[in-house]
Amino acid sequence: MDATEVSAVLARARQGDSEAFRTLVERHGRRAFQLAFRMTGNEQDAEDVVQESFIRAYRQLGRFEARAHFSTWLHRIVANCSVDLIRSRRARNDYTSTDALEPAEQPEAEAPDPERLAASAQIQRNVASAMSALSPLERAAFTLRHYEGRSIAEIGKTLGLGTSATKHSVFRAVKKLRAALEPLRGES
Amino acid sequence: MSRHYSEDDLILYYYEERPRSGDIQAHLDGCEQCAAAYRELSATLRMIETPQAPERGDQYGREVWQRIRHRLPEQDVPWWSAWFRADRLAMAGAFAVLLLAAFVTGLWWSSGRQTAPVQPVATNGTSASGQAAKDDAARQRILLMTVADHLDRSDRVLTEIMNTQAGGDISAEQGWAEDLVSASRLYRQDATDAGEHSVALVLDDLERSLLEIVHSPSMATAANLDQLRRRIDAASLLFKVRVLGDELRHREQQDTTRPRALSAHIS
Repeated sequence: MDATEVSAVLARARQGDSEAFRTLVERHGRRAFQLAFRMTGNEQDAEDVVQESFIRAYRQLGRFEARAHFSTWLHRIVANCSVDLIRSRRARNDYTSTDALEPAEQPEAEAPDPERLAASAQIQRNVASAMSALSPLERAAFTLRHYEGRSIAEIGKTLGLGTSATKHSVFRAVKKLRAALEPLRGES
Repeated sequence: MSRHYSEDDLILYYYEERPRSGDIQAHLDGCEQCAAAYRELSATLRMIETPQAPERGDQYGREVWQRIRHRLPEQDVPWWSAWFRADRLAMAGAFAVLLLAAFVTGLWWSSGRQTAPVQPVATNGTSASGQAAKDDAARQRILLMTVADHLDRSDRVLTEIMNTQAGGDISAEQGWAEDLVSASRLYRQDATDAGEHSVALVLDDLERSLLEIVHSPSMATAANLDQLRRRIDAASLLFKVRVLGDELRHREQQDTTRPRALSAHIS
């Protein structure tokens, strides 16, 4: 789909054409899920965030500026939906991200030795545990900075934070993660 | 350079967020203490690998669509587009015709009878007072939008504080609150100048709580947090901030040009 077609689809979607919006969902769904998973660390939560994000995007399409990229705009919505979900779970004290406990599958050809695999799994567990202990904003800021490679300025814009607050969120997240991983540094 | 770099500086350097990173690199080359701190930091951060999201197939977007298609809400309509709806345009057209007819009738009536002196009329078709009123309305709308956004951001900080556990580090919230305090002062002054006294009162309450957050210890004890929360609760601040934010957005959407008293329950 070239830029002209994308503009046409967006214009139709903004006029309430749900079929046009369907095209956008099909095109951006997987990317939205990847971000939501990294933000929440939980597969089911990521699914919820993706659905809520597209519903929110549809409602707010009228505010979308045509000159902006839809993917950038959607990225912001997914990030904020993730923060909202974690915050609401926190308020009910039932938030844990468990999926990140599973270490990423290794290709068979590399076949790491069991000791190294165990150490890697322990690191993943500590990371997941420390991430769960971060505040929703710290977690979001760290995820966007460390996993997504976004700049401080972009993160601030995404989360509606000032530069100073964004930096502090990243600093605090890094310090907490360091504290959680420091004991394992020798084993890695 | 004699001073050592802080952990925060090194974190920014690791993420390539520091301007003049050549300076810090030169320092690290010559300072074993900072170089060791940086090695430890970067080794730890390199341990945190990007988690692999569970695979989703090519049909995933279609599946999402199937799940949400019956849940799609009405789209929000921008405030200005309401004025371009067909029924509004038709009504505006009819009103313009009536106005013109009244004007022509008035001219004919006054020229026929000549019983009253004619008031001077501005030659450019728009009086200076009319233009000033338009400018005021535009300024008012911008103020409403800006303050509503400001209240949204403040809501988030206050909610974070309300949900923080005792013994937690609130320095991020403090940094955020600090950013908001200076903005809040400006908006409060603007609101006062614009005659929006109820808005100014809420912003005043908000500013006090934000300042208290800024000046609390970063490692907040249960007592510190309790004090902050009691202040927020006592002023019903979260409630006021949310209601006022909603009200301002509503007013902005209605394109209200005249200051209006806020609901009695806010102030």
